[in-house]
Amino acid sequence: MASDLLKLLSLMLLLAQPVLAQESAPLFSGVDLNTKKQINLSDFRGKVVFVDFWASWCAPCRASLPAYDQMRQEIGTEEFEIIAINVDENTEDGLKFLAEHPVSYPVLADPEGDIGISYGIRSLPRSFLLDRNGQITATYKSFKEGDEIKLKQEIEVLLKQ
Amino acid sequence: MSFKFIKFALLVFLFIGMKDPAFAATCSCAGVPLLTTIDTSASEKGEFFISYSTEFHQISDLVSGTKNVNDETDRDRNSFSQVLSASYAMTDRWSVSALVSYVKHNRTIGSSFLGKTTTSGIGDSVILLRYTPLFITPFSRHLISLGLGVRIPTGDDDFGDNFVLSEDMQPSTGAYGEILWTSYSYAFNQAATVQFNTSANYTVNEENDRKYAFGNEFNLFSGISHAIGSKFGYSAGLRYRTTRADRRFGFDIPNTGGQWLDFIPGISYAVTNHLNLGLSGRIPVWRKLDGVLQFTTSYAYSFSLSYGF
Repeated sequence: MASDLLKLLSLMLLLAQPVLAQESAPLFSGVDLNTKKQINLSDFRGKVVFVDFWASWCAPCRASLPAYDQMRQEIGTEEFEIIAINVDENTEDGLKFLAEHPVSYPVLADPEGDIGISYGIRSLPRSFLLDRNGQITATYKSFKEGDEIKLKQEIEVLLKQ
Repeated sequence: MSFKFIKFALLVFLFIGMKDPAFAATCSCAGVPLLTTIDTSASEKGEFFISYSTEFHQISDLVSGTKNVNDETDRDRNSFSQVLSASYAMTDRWSVSALVSYVKHNRTIGSSFLGKTTTSGIGDSVILLRYTPLFITPFSRHLISLGLGVRIPTGDDDFGDNFVLSEDMQPSTGAYGEILWTSYSYAFNQAATVQFNTSANYTVNEENDRKYAFGNEFNLFSGISHAIGSKFGYSAGLRYRTTRADRRFGFDIPNTGGQWLDFIPGISYAVTNHLNLGLSGRIPVWRKLDGVLQFTTSYAYSFSLSYGF
């Protein structure tokens, strides 16, 4: 019986292997918490976009938001943009965090997780790099100081394409 | 097939194919908490975790039913186990865990060195396939995971010079086992720093070559865990365990089987984003053991180290 179960497990293991493919970034829209303007991801087609999910309780986000803001200033916004998605259940917590760690890029609120769920967010911070065609080219599952240097290089490669 | 999966598969086959000629030994994983040490961390597509844990298990309490009895036999019995475990998530919902154990049993009866017996060697291994339809995210507070597994007798189970030692002194059971496993967690806040965790497993034990079968076993664990900042965490829980009597040639063995309730406190420390250390204990709270007299757990403590990438 156990050897049959072992065979069954092996078969299930093979069937559970994922199919790897480049994915299109799910489209989303919302109001920028800073400027109160409507933001649509589709409006950024033709630019390289970095989508960053964060929350006020996420410890690494205290370092990542200022680092990304600095990186955006260095790269410029002609062909590149960062869109941050705050997933705090209470958006007020996110606004308090932004008052302490202000950023110059658009920040949308996603308290119900409508955008986060479509991106399959499991933990924070989580970010996605999108090419000019809106395809996800890379996913980042954590942040530590210095990560923005490698990220900037990857963005510059995409900007040359 | 990803590189991480190939590495994982290689590790599994290395573990399972591994034999230790220097300890041409035996097997019985009595007291070795295989299913509680199996690494089930990998839960997101592509995640790979490997962990090493050790447990020291002192088995010197003499119990009759629910009462402790004074042991005047000057007997000492303990087990030291080491477990290497790995888990890999093939998708966000399907993951596989595997472990291999190395077990050392010590038994001393009386003060003479002739009364000392030590056995050691590769113990049993476990492969567990898990399906997680619901998991904790910033938008969901619940995790449900179901698993199906096999315990494989990767070690020897016939240790002894002129006669084979008792099954509880063998490093491996010498028998396959079928495992049903389930786990549920609830996060009390969005950051999931405070969680209620419960898990249960049931193992059907088959007979080894000597027609001995350990009693089927059921474990239920429930506890609370709390992460303080991004580095420290602590947990506390209760584990209920019950086993049927062991059998030989289909007949129950006297003084085996029973029910145990243990308190399990633990602390953890994240050295880096990838490396975690853990320390936990097992303290008997209540037990009701079958038969007239049984030696059972006095206490146990374990240390673990896990690495994820």
